[in-house]
Formats: sequence, C-alpha cells, structure tokens
Amino acid sequence: MSNLTKILIVLLTISAIFLCGIVVTYVANADNFKQKYDNQHKEVGALEAKVDSLTNQLNEKVQQKDELEKTLNDKIASMKTQADEVQAKLNTAEREKAELVERTNNFASVTKAFSETSEKQTQTLNATLEEVKQVKADQIKQAKELDETSAALMEKNAIIDSLNAEKRRLVEDKADLENRLDKILRAGGKVTAAGTPVTPEGGSASAARTGTEAIALKAKVTEVDMKNSLATISIGSADGVKEGMKFHVTRGDKFICDILITDVDTDKAVGVLELVSQPLKVGDNAVTNL
Amino acid sequence: MSPEGQIHSAKPTPASNLYTIILAFAFCMVLATAAFVAYKCYFDYSTLFKIP
Repeated sequence: MSNLTKILIVLLTISAIFLCGIVVTYVANADNFKQKYDNQHKEVGALEAKVDSLTNQLNEKVQQKDELEKTLNDKIASMKTQADEVQAKLNTAEREKAELVERTNNFASVTKAFSETSEKQTQTLNATLEEVKQVKADQIKQAKELDETSAALMEKNAIIDSLNAEKRRLVEDKADLENRLDKILRAGGKVTAAGTPVTPEGGSASAARTGTEAIALKAKVTEVDMKNSLATISIGSADGVKEGMKFHVTRGDKFICDILITDVDTDKAVGVLELVSQPLKVGDNAVTNL
Repeated sequence: MSPEGQIHSAKPTPASNLYTIILAFAFCMVLATAAFVAYKCYFDYSTLFKIP
C-alpha cells in the first residue's frame, strides 16, 4: 500500500468523521417542521373559530348598539320634551319668584308700618292701663255705693210688693163695685163711663172720679106677643144690647111700655113688657133714653 | 505494492490491517449517520423521501 493510499484513507476517515458529526448535530438540532405546521394549523383553526365567534359577538353587539341607539334616541326625545316642560315650569317659577319678591317687599313695608303702629298702640295701651287702674279704683268705690243702693232697693221692692198686693185688692174691689153699679145703671138705661186716670205719671196719687153716660140705643119693635107679654126689637149684641137693659117704647109722643131685655142675639133681642099703657104694635120705636 | 510481490504470491493480502480498520470505522460511521438520519426523518415526518 503506497503512502498516498494511506494518506487518502486517513483523510477520508477524518472527513467522514467530521461530516458525520456535522450531519448528526444538524439533524439532532433541526426543528420538526411538521409538528410546527400542525401546531400552526391548529392555531389558525382556533383563531378562525375565534374570529367567527368574535364576528358573531360583533354582530350581536352591533344589533344591541342599534337597539340601544334607538332606545336612547327615544329617551333623548322624551328628555327634550321634559326639558321643554321643565323650562316652561322654570319660567313660571321665575315669574312667581318675582311676584313673591314683590310681595315680600310689600310685606316688609307693611311690617315696618305695623311695627310703628304697634309701638303707638303700646303707648296707647300703657295709657289705657293707667286709666283702667283709675277706673278700677272708681269701680270699687261705685261697687260699695251699689251695694248700699241695692240694699235700699231691696227695701223699696218689698214696699212695692206690698203696695202691688194692696193695688190688686183695690182693683178687685173696683171691679166688683163697677159690676154692681152697671146692674143698677142698666136698669135706668145708663152705664158707667170709662174712668180717666187722675194721677199723672210721676205725680202723687189721688182719688179717681167716677161718672155715668147714656147708652143711647135706638131700635124698632119687630115682633109682638101680647099673650106672653113678649116683644122683639131689631138690634142685638152687635149693637151693644145686653141682658137687663130696659128699652122705652114710644109711638110719636106717646109712651107705650117698657121692654126689659131677657135674651140677646147678635141682630135681635127679646124682652118682657112692663108698664103697658097701650097695645104694642110692630114698628114702634124703642130707645134706651127718653 | 511492487509488481514483484504480485507475481510471487497469488493470494492478495492486505498490506496493513490498521488502515482496513480505519476504513471500516469510517464506513460504519457513515452508515450509522445515514441510519440516524433515516430514523429521524421517519420519526418526525413518517416518510423517508417524500415531502409531507
């Protein structure tokens, strides 16, 4: 074997070792591109799915945004309407505020005047209180006088009560006497005249004067019953005829008889004939006073 | 390597076993490298020569 062959074998071996080392090192450290491709492909799929889901979410968000925008537009319109109403209310409130401020100013002036008036009234009240004190002192004095006067008045009232009792008794006596006198006078065709007070108001008492007056009734004889000595005249109680009255019947200048009234109606009266001097006829005159 | 030796003996004999061993070692190393590369390609890409 020549030396050249030996050298070539050694160089071939060395180069083989070197190249094999390089190849092994490279292959051992080389990346697995298939695995990388698969990983990238999976990532792309996941990203596409994510893109789809995000697209769907985006569409949903867009729809929600549209709905929200519509709702917000409606709300904005309503809020504008409310803002207009509130603006109108604000204007009204400002006007009312101005009126209230004016009223407040008026009230302030009124209050000032009222304060001045109150001070004057306070002064007047103080003066009045002084007068009241004085009046109370006078009132106490007058109360004492009033008590004394009341005691005197009670005594006078007792006297007046006794006098009233006596007056009632006198009135009853007077009525009794007037009834008796009427009976006596009616038989003679007269009645008692109404008494006139003889004691003026505020004057001293004095005795009353009594008197008589003529009745002066005139009538016609309307019916005659000579058998029973009865006759009827043309007037009754409406003209003042009373039981017990006596009518004198005349015919011209002649006296015929008397009629003593026993029964009285409103428009006629019946009586008994007395002192008959001539026969009685219908149409004769009957009077109470000759 | 002279022509005289070839004439005297008909059976060839290696001149030196050392260089034969070195050559065999180099050959084995290249073969091992090729096997490692083939193993690696088949393990990673499931084929030896096709582009996946």
